[in-house]
Amino acid sequence: MTAEVLVQGLVSGLLMGFVYALIAAGLSLIFGLMEIVNFAHGEFLMGAMFATFWAWALWKLDPLVSLPLTLALLALLGLLVYHGLIRWILGAPMLAQIFATFGLAIFMRAAAQALWGADFRLVKNPLVDGRVSLGGVFIGLPQLVASVGALVAFGFLYWFIRRTETGLALQATSQDRQAAMLMGIDTQRMFALGWAIGAACVGAAGALLAMFFYIFPDVGATFALLAYVTVALGGFGNVPATLLAGVIVGVVEVLGGLLIAPALKYAVVFSLYLVVVLWRPQGLLGRF
Amino acid sequence: MPAGTRWTGASILLLLLLAFPLVFTQPHPRHVVITIFLFAMLAQAWNLLAGYCGQISLGHAVFFGAGAYTSTLLVKYFDLSPWLGMVVGAVVAVAVSQLIGYPVFRLRGHYFAIATIAVGEIVNTLMINWDWAGGARGLFVPIKRPDSFLNLQFHQSKQNYYYIALGLLLLAFWITRKVERSRMGYYLRAIREDQDAAASLGIPVAAYKQRAMALSAALTALGGSFYAQYILFIDPDSVFPTALSILICLVAVLGGIGTLWGPLIGAAILIPLGEWTRIYFGGTGKAMDLLIYGALIMLVSIIQPGGIMALAQRGRRRTG
Amino acid sequence: MRRAVRLLSLALSAVFATASASHAQAPKEVVIGVIYPLSGNLAQIGIDSVTAMKMAVELYNTKSDLNLPAMKKTTEGLPGLGGAKIRLIVVDHQGKPDVGQAEAERLITQEKVTAILGSVFSSVTATTSQVAERYGVPHMNGESSSPSLTERGFKWFFRTSPHDGHFTLAMFDFLKDFEKKKGVKFKTVGLMHEDTLFGADSGKVQEELAKKYGYEVVLNMAYRAKTTSLDAEVGRLKAAGPDVFFPTSYTSDAVLYIKTAKTLEYIPRMLIAQNAGWVDPQFVAEMNKDIEGHITRSPFALDLQAKKPLIRQINELFKKQKDNPGGRDISEAPTRALTAFTVLVDAINRAKSTNPEEIRKALVATNVPPDQLLMPWTGVRFDEKGQNAGVRAILQQIQKGAYATIWPFDLAAADVIYPLPGFKDKK
Repeated sequence: MTAEVLVQGLVSGLLMGFVYALIAAGLSLIFGLMEIVNFAHGEFLMGAMFATFWAWALWKLDPLVSLPLTLALLALLGLLVYHGLIRWILGAPMLAQIFATFGLAIFMRAAAQALWGADFRLVKNPLVDGRVSLGGVFIGLPQLVASVGALVAFGFLYWFIRRTETGLALQATSQDRQAAMLMGIDTQRMFALGWAIGAACVGAAGALLAMFFYIFPDVGATFALLAYVTVALGGFGNVPATLLAGVIVGVVEVLGGLLIAPALKYAVVFSLYLVVVLWRPQGLLGRF
Repeated sequence: MPAGTRWTGASILLLLLLAFPLVFTQPHPRHVVITIFLFAMLAQAWNLLAGYCGQISLGHAVFFGAGAYTSTLLVKYFDLSPWLGMVVGAVVAVAVSQLIGYPVFRLRGHYFAIATIAVGEIVNTLMINWDWAGGARGLFVPIKRPDSFLNLQFHQSKQNYYYIALGLLLLAFWITRKVERSRMGYYLRAIREDQDAAASLGIPVAAYKQRAMALSAALTALGGSFYAQYILFIDPDSVFPTALSILICLVAVLGGIGTLWGPLIGAAILIPLGEWTRIYFGGTGKAMDLLIYGALIMLVSIIQPGGIMALAQRGRRRTG
Repeated sequence: MRRAVRLLSLALSAVFATASASHAQAPKEVVIGVIYPLSGNLAQIGIDSVTAMKMAVELYNTKSDLNLPAMKKTTEGLPGLGGAKIRLIVVDHQGKPDVGQAEAERLITQEKVTAILGSVFSSVTATTSQVAERYGVPHMNGESSSPSLTERGFKWFFRTSPHDGHFTLAMFDFLKDFEKKKGVKFKTVGLMHEDTLFGADSGKVQEELAKKYGYEVVLNMAYRAKTTSLDAEVGRLKAAGPDVFFPTSYTSDAVLYIKTAKTLEYIPRMLIAQNAGWVDPQFVAEMNKDIEGHITRSPFALDLQAKKPLIRQINELFKKQKDNPGGRDISEAPTRALTAFTVLVDAINRAKSTNPEEIRKALVATNVPPDQLLMPWTGVRFDEKGQNAGVRAILQQIQKGAYATIWPFDLAAADVIYPLPGFKDKK
């Protein structure tokens, strides 16, 4: 294994890690707000990718151009899911919530196949395509743009939560629901907002991913699995930690594949996660 | 409901179940009921840990696969009877469960659930790459003729499989009931309600979690060995996937966790539902079966988040 | 009186139904159970295959002059069975061996199917064929490529298609032929395969044969199916730098591989794929120029339609099917299903009965001439293991966005592009 291959791996892993982080961010936000793990998170991602694909296929809109549209659409989906499903099971035990969102996942996957078929699709010739070479290290431009997009999204999310009044209300709700209610915060509205923003995050991730990844009804599953581990690794509800965890997952995945064996790379990622939570049960930067 | 009528009800149900294969001689109805028994049993095993002790595992396929692989490998390489293989499988599963339990029981709530998914994925990956155990190619259980109880293989009729599955289910019920009524049962429920309070009362929390896990793993492994002998083919994709862990969980949650009857009710609804939607709508290629299946799961969770048993209990409270 | 006769004949036929076939009374309907993956990763393969079979059913049930087995006829239905119509019962096995098993059992005992056709996944075919064997019902298979399926000594299992052994042998025979023809010499090979049964089998056979043919295997790597990135995998390939690269990947991973190889600029001198992703029509349409020069094994070649008008006729019909949105060309998977299906129907027609033993005998006696096949085979004749002995694997190369047959050289429609051209930037 030459140093060149390793450096290349590190760079590729880092770029992918940003995207993993952005996918996980929405999950983390929703969890922090209301302690619900959305098991249909991968299907949200799939929905965003299909939205991007259809915008491209029907109206020749580039993924980057249709990005705001995808964001809005996913936010809408988040609201719909919140009001149609989640609101009704807020008080239910954790298991009922797993059950409900898992049903949603099956439903969405099947709906995608019923509507659009089981074919693999691609957005061909996106505006940003090709690669650049920096001292022998190749960087895919779509991946680069996706990473930058992910960082911008994180910056925005951070600003929104920490600096705006709505964001502070969101934060208050996530820290203590009762107290927030007493302070006159409409927690129901906050939850709905959380779902909208969380879904919009995964919408951004889907749109960016659609520039260089295939699209089909079952595409969300593998990403979702990594997203759960990413969120737990960083610490549930801690959005900046998710960024760190995403990068770790991305880099470890590539290094595991290069140094150990490609077949075992996810086992390496998951083992690392187990080692970390053994040492810090609440995740790297999580709070109990 | 007085205890007397409840026992009468249970006896009648048992008689009906015993008589079922005599009336339904076709293999498919028997297969559906065998699958119900199997999943009721798995869900019951899962219920011991999740329902009574509050530890929500989404990695139980590990124990199922451990049972399936142990008995199959023992038949294949050492020509050992699957009955012995079942026992060894249970022992292996218990050992694995203790190994897993040590790190993951320090985690709580969702952290625990996600960690068990991670463990399941790791084990699945390792099995795919383990050539001696068949790797991705899987294993065929060597065919033994003629049919015999010793070999746990019946090619002529499903009747014997049916009664064995029923026996396993009864075993799971019996153990759950024993646990429910024992000191262990109270400890487990105390841990579920508030583990810090339980610890302050002097309950050895970690040790009892491990015990619940061991029992749950052993029962799950029995189910796995049975599955291997029933299907006669196993591969990592069919006995180790996370989807299986989640299905076990769904069955128990649908019925109502932390209750004796919940897993059976859940299996009796969810398994035929999946089967029928697939048979009637699966041939379209439009995933209509899964569409309906997913929608119904959501509907149930909205209408009755506590599971079907909660409905029954509510009814009982109203009447009596 | 007439009623009494009918009752008597009914009773008699019931008595003799199991002993000897209902020779006298031809059934009105032949029911065939079709067990395919219709949800999940390979759903599209299943859907396309079922579309092709439904098309064939319509042709059998009406008059047709197509030269497929038992299809050229002036009467409606199957002439051998007094014009009996065919009805399919299509079920989804979801890629699960236990579901396939249960469905096979249900179709045989409850739907009383005459024969079973399926199931793409080798692992599912393994269990469905076990059920068919137990009940003594013919089981036809057109796709599963695991060699072990026909090594089990089954009486009721028949496979029309080549298996991995045939395919991989073809790849290495081609390498040798090519070396001789062009005066080049390959030393090293690299293998990459996905980690389900299909990939594991392919990787194993390829490694064995590569060694046997005197090539050094510098890399044999399994990767996780449905992975989210192939950066590490392609990195390893670049580091190992084999002369010839053999990928075994389904469509999703194949797409990801091309994208990654393009970004990391990995270009082997020659790439020979174990079909799957590389014969998916969608894949060629989507990847277009990026797979120019890639070679794939295939039992089917659309570009042979110039030599074989039958292929064109079938393709035109297939494009018009209502379950084929967009009117795509017929591809490998539906052609394989169609071939297996027509061979099965031909046997039923010759058996002149739906009695399983009669059909089995007819299947054993199968001798479909090459001109009735869409495949470039020497015919369909089953050996004692139920494997078609007339198979011939061909290699195709993607040239200008379409498949061109390049090997065996006597069938070749085009010259081999060598070495692999690099990735062209767009525009």
